[in-house]
Amino acid sequence: MTTIKSDSAGDPMSAERFTGHGAEWRDAKLSPHDAGIATSWVEQKIDRRSMLTGKDRVEDVRDAMWQLEKEGEIVVHRVSDEHQPVMVKTLYGWDKKIPTQRLWHHKSCGQCGNIPGYPASLLWLMNKLDVEYLDETDQTSCTAWNYHGSGIGNLESLAAVFLRNFHQAYVAARAQGLPDSYYYPLVHCGTSFGNYKEVRGYLIHSATLRERVRAILGKLGRLVDGKLLIPEEVVHYSEWLHVMRERINAMREIDCSEIRATIHPACHVYKMVPEDAIYDDSILGGNRLAVSTGIMQALGTQVIDYRTWYDCCGFGFRHIISEREFTRSFAIDRKIRVAVEEAHADVMIGHDTGCITTLDKNQWIAKAAGKPVELAVLADCQFAALVCGAHPYKIVQSHWHASPTEHLMEKLGIDWQAKKAEFVAYLEEVKAGKQENLYDPRRMITSGPGFKPMPAAIPVANRP
Amino acid sequence: MSATTTRVQEHIGDPVSDKPQVSRPQLEEIFKDIQADLRYDHELHGCLNCGICTATCPAAHYYDFSPREIVQLLWTENLEGIYDAMQEKIWACAQCYTCAARCPFGNSPGGLIMLMRETAIKHEMESAKSVLRPFSRVMLKLVSTGNQLAPDMINAEHFPDWGPNISKIDAPLKLLRKAIPMPTLNTTATAWEVNLKTSVELYTIWEETGVLKQLEGIDRNLFDVIADFMDEKREDWKDFLADQEDQKDD
Repeated sequence: MTTIKSDSAGDPMSAERFTGHGAEWRDAKLSPHDAGIATSWVEQKIDRRSMLTGKDRVEDVRDAMWQLEKEGEIVVHRVSDEHQPVMVKTLYGWDKKIPTQRLWHHKSCGQCGNIPGYPASLLWLMNKLDVEYLDETDQTSCTAWNYHGSGIGNLESLAAVFLRNFHQAYVAARAQGLPDSYYYPLVHCGTSFGNYKEVRGYLIHSATLRERVRAILGKLGRLVDGKLLIPEEVVHYSEWLHVMRERINAMREIDCSEIRATIHPACHVYKMVPEDAIYDDSILGGNRLAVSTGIMQALGTQVIDYRTWYDCCGFGFRHIISEREFTRSFAIDRKIRVAVEEAHADVMIGHDTGCITTLDKNQWIAKAAGKPVELAVLADCQFAALVCGAHPYKIVQSHWHASPTEHLMEKLGIDWQAKKAEFVAYLEEVKAGKQENLYDPRRMITSGPGFKPMPAAIPVANRP
Repeated sequence: MSATTTRVQEHIGDPVSDKPQVSRPQLEEIFKDIQADLRYDHELHGCLNCGICTATCPAAHYYDFSPREIVQLLWTENLEGIYDAMQEKIWACAQCYTCAARCPFGNSPGGLIMLMRETAIKHEMESAKSVLRPFSRVMLKLVSTGNQLAPDMINAEHFPDWGPNISKIDAPLKLLRKAIPMPTLNTTATAWEVNLKTSVELYTIWEETGVLKQLEGIDRNLFDVIADFMDEKREDWKDFLADQEDQKDD
């Protein structure tokens, strides 16, 4: 410790005080440019994958999961051959099976309530690729947005909600006269994805937790042979998109080579249970999460790295609702402005509900603070659908986005004004009850009021 | 006295000195409740004050908040400091888990914050009540429907700072929702249409896991509204089952 003295008289903060530096410390008086060069190695080191991998205490929770099944404690919902899995590598080079067929859509409350073109684009891509799926009403949200925002909820409630929803995915095909485990759950929300993986880990490691939730799931009739049902893999939709990226690119109708894209990776997708996130040495040197970057590269865009890639969006769970000054300050200063001024981006691509909402909705208010900034914000599947020919309003539902998606569409050669006029005209048909759907509405209710048994699943080729 | 000494004295003191004394047994009980969670030992392994967590924390940019400080308070079992942090600081955390991903010890400061928030709610602390008051509309929606966010919540009245483009097409919300090509989303009061059985099952989960008790302690009025809502849905479900039985008999 040393002390310094200042010549500034009258300013108590400039008077003699402890600095916290060693006696040998001397100010190098570097220019900002030279200081940047001197410390650039720090950023290279800490901003990379090594920050996640350079630790002990890492285990593959699936090993313990298989052991529990062997001991008769749980049943594992497998990703089977019928789900046509594609194998990928995760952070430590472990394998993860990503199902590509027979998918049960586990929707996101934020996406469906606020950015409906997000799930609609995903289902549209699946229709184009002849992927069989079920979008049904028997599901709740994961409830983790509320939990992380308010603290209302607990480990048991999160675990019970997780197991209830995944059990429904397991039995949902009964309504179509098909066997259990026919569909495999595909999680839309990044927070649901992170939360479910975290909860799965606790369930596998804690007999106490299993015992408590087994009693609850038993009351609900949500056990399989008296046991808890645990999914072999918890799979995020962005992982499905990632493994389908070349097949999606084969459907591309628009040249994307002039588009400069920045990626905002969702914290709960790769910072929660980081060992389960997908990395690929061929995608940004394996130093960045592979999902979203992979599809954008496959579609031919220029993916631009930027210095605040690792930062969160500022969503904050509670803050986006009741302390938005934090949310918008962080979103603008640390993400949008950097993407615009440093990366000269045309679009910010995300893969999570909260991030897209935060980055999209908080640009307008920046004008009031004298910080105008504009950047189109879309989910990866929305961008993919758009360049594969999906209607920007009927399918991508870009009118719910507050950010200026119109500039991006112009750069892609899409006549958004004509498309908007088409959609406005289409609303008249909707008024008359002639709306177009991505699937047969009869399939969405699998039990209870409104349920009408269907003889069998409708073959993919005959779907509307 | 030197300027340095005076400055230090100004910054050291009992941050709760102008509030009623909190008894030692009460502080111990609060700490025990935090420690009692199954996750506690998983989230806390040790701390050398390296500060990587705080350096990377978004909330630390804007609030008087440091995840390193939270971990230190718990690690050193500083009961007064823990209590003090629960009055405001723990609510600053953005729950991004960047701290957890980066901590060389494998701690999860964000995860520890959740245990402290749950405990603040359990002890019905004023801090929790006041912080969660603006969140009540969201909790009502979530607990009663299983959906956190609904289309009818996103409007200019509640989100004036989001600007005029909540929808860039001027048409009634109901019509715009009907024009979404996923039939489950043709709703306005919930993000998607929720099966009646699903809601009834969710209520059982809330009851069995103590979530309703949490709510009752934090906001009695909200609890009453939710209880009425639940009763109504359960009645609907009973009626449906009775109808099914009648149809079978016929």
